[in-house]
Amino acid sequence: MANQDLLKMTISEIAPMIRSGEVSPVELTEAALAQADRLQPTLNSFITILRDQAMDQAKKQEAAIVRGEFLGPLQGIPIGIKDNIATGGIRTTVGTKVLSDNVPDEDAEVVRRCKEAGAIILGKENLEEFAAGATSNNPHYGPVHNPWGLDHIPGGSSGGGGANVASGVTFASLGTDLGGSVRLPATFCGVVGLKQTYGRVSQRGLLVTSFNGDHIGPMTRSVSDSALVLQALAGYDPLDPSTVPVPVPDYSAALGRNLQGMKMGIPSNYFFELVDSEVEAAVRLAIEALQELGVETREVSLPSMEYSGALRFASMSDSVVTHEPYIQSNREDYGPDTLYRTLAGQFVLGRDYSKSLKVQRIIQEEHARVLQEVDFLVTPTAPVPAPRIDAKYITLDGEEHRVRGPGSGIISRFTSPENATGLPAITVPCGFSEMGLPIGVQFIGRAFDESTLFRVAQGYEAVSPSRGHWPTLAD
Amino acid sequence: MAISKDTLKAMIRDFHGFELSDSEMDLIAPELDAYLSELEKLRALDLSKVMSSRLIKADEGGQADG
Repeated sequence: MANQDLLKMTISEIAPMIRSGEVSPVELTEAALAQADRLQPTLNSFITILRDQAMDQAKKQEAAIVRGEFLGPLQGIPIGIKDNIATGGIRTTVGTKVLSDNVPDEDAEVVRRCKEAGAIILGKENLEEFAAGATSNNPHYGPVHNPWGLDHIPGGSSGGGGANVASGVTFASLGTDLGGSVRLPATFCGVVGLKQTYGRVSQRGLLVTSFNGDHIGPMTRSVSDSALVLQALAGYDPLDPSTVPVPVPDYSAALGRNLQGMKMGIPSNYFFELVDSEVEAAVRLAIEALQELGVETREVSLPSMEYSGALRFASMSDSVVTHEPYIQSNREDYGPDTLYRTLAGQFVLGRDYSKSLKVQRIIQEEHARVLQEVDFLVTPTAPVPAPRIDAKYITLDGEEHRVRGPGSGIISRFTSPENATGLPAITVPCGFSEMGLPIGVQFIGRAFDESTLFRVAQGYEAVSPSRGHWPTLAD
Repeated sequence: MAISKDTLKAMIRDFHGFELSDSEMDLIAPELDAYLSELEKLRALDLSKVMSSRLIKADEGGQADG
């Protein structure tokens, strides 16, 4: 089988071939590194490519398989890690000049788990500076380009990972999602992105992040791969108090079951407002496809979403506290978008921070109530297809909205509320714009019930118009 | 900007905040405008009886109970 064909497979497809010896982890890693080398000048998706380490890991896994030591479906699979997730002994920049020489002492817990599962880490992936935005237009390491349209953003902040999974470089990439930073690049790059329930996956080793609402989650080429990666990542971490000691089910067991009789909720407010017509049309078609698969439809109301903008008060305050030591020591090394967005947070009053937490609570309660009536919610993932890299504004309903820097937030409008609820959400490709840019549909589920989301997402994926499409540069 | 630069400068001075020049205050203005705009929407909302709990609970079966 040709290398390009191998690189377009899913983990679910190639893992049995690795286990049987039909595919060599060494040859697969060499092919993935060659693809990374070929596309790096075009996509700028990596900050650091770990050629020697990746080949060493591949040789070890190949030897282990020859000895009959099987570690599971990630064994021998090339993956990418966002460069704000600590890798012991390997530079981890968080996308900023401030930390350009930062070398952590130890791996993040998720990296440790991936290595334990036998995955091969190809490199550290490019991102928005400090993961603080949705464009991946990095002022220090250069912009990441969208493989479906090189003049367009890949989404952010985990843009390098989205671009790599979409273009056949990595089979999966770990991103981080504080407001949609896994789901948005997945959507804009036409792949699957998961933000599991808050507390399901350890954040230990996630650098310079918020105190509240961040998640490390996978971008993959299929829903079944998302389930496989979450299986490796999920579980209580006694050293991370944000994790919750609940059982981790067999996520793959829920896959393949039909959707007959399930109930989906379609929000009648907020989630279909301020949305591009092409995006809305694609998501409405996805809803029709789910209906044809036997899913019942209920219109649901989430009136407190009117106040969801108040959630940013807490994140503004939190951000300035997180950045305080770095701004004190290295203010001149910050890019302007991150610096001035962050510095505005010093003016948020404590009273308003408290209001933000209470708004978060009522939005959580409202989602919980609605999810007693339906099994999952359906929304667009992003309000628009990927904007151009040089765009400062997008226009929706006749009004201009900032794409990046102070005052931005339109792109994460439909994703960031679920960081506040902590509920699991997954994005699946659901078509293309007239310009050929991917569009995604978001499914939101009950807390700690990722299995239902995987079941629904895989059921839809099988009939999605995006199925089988690749960007031309992947060949 | 609905908060005057003089007020912001006083806050920085009295609360030991990060210094900002006049031109830098113009750069943060869109973020502050968004803050104030969202704050305005909250005026009519009574938040006094909202519980403060944050954690999501889960039972042994992994299902949510809110």
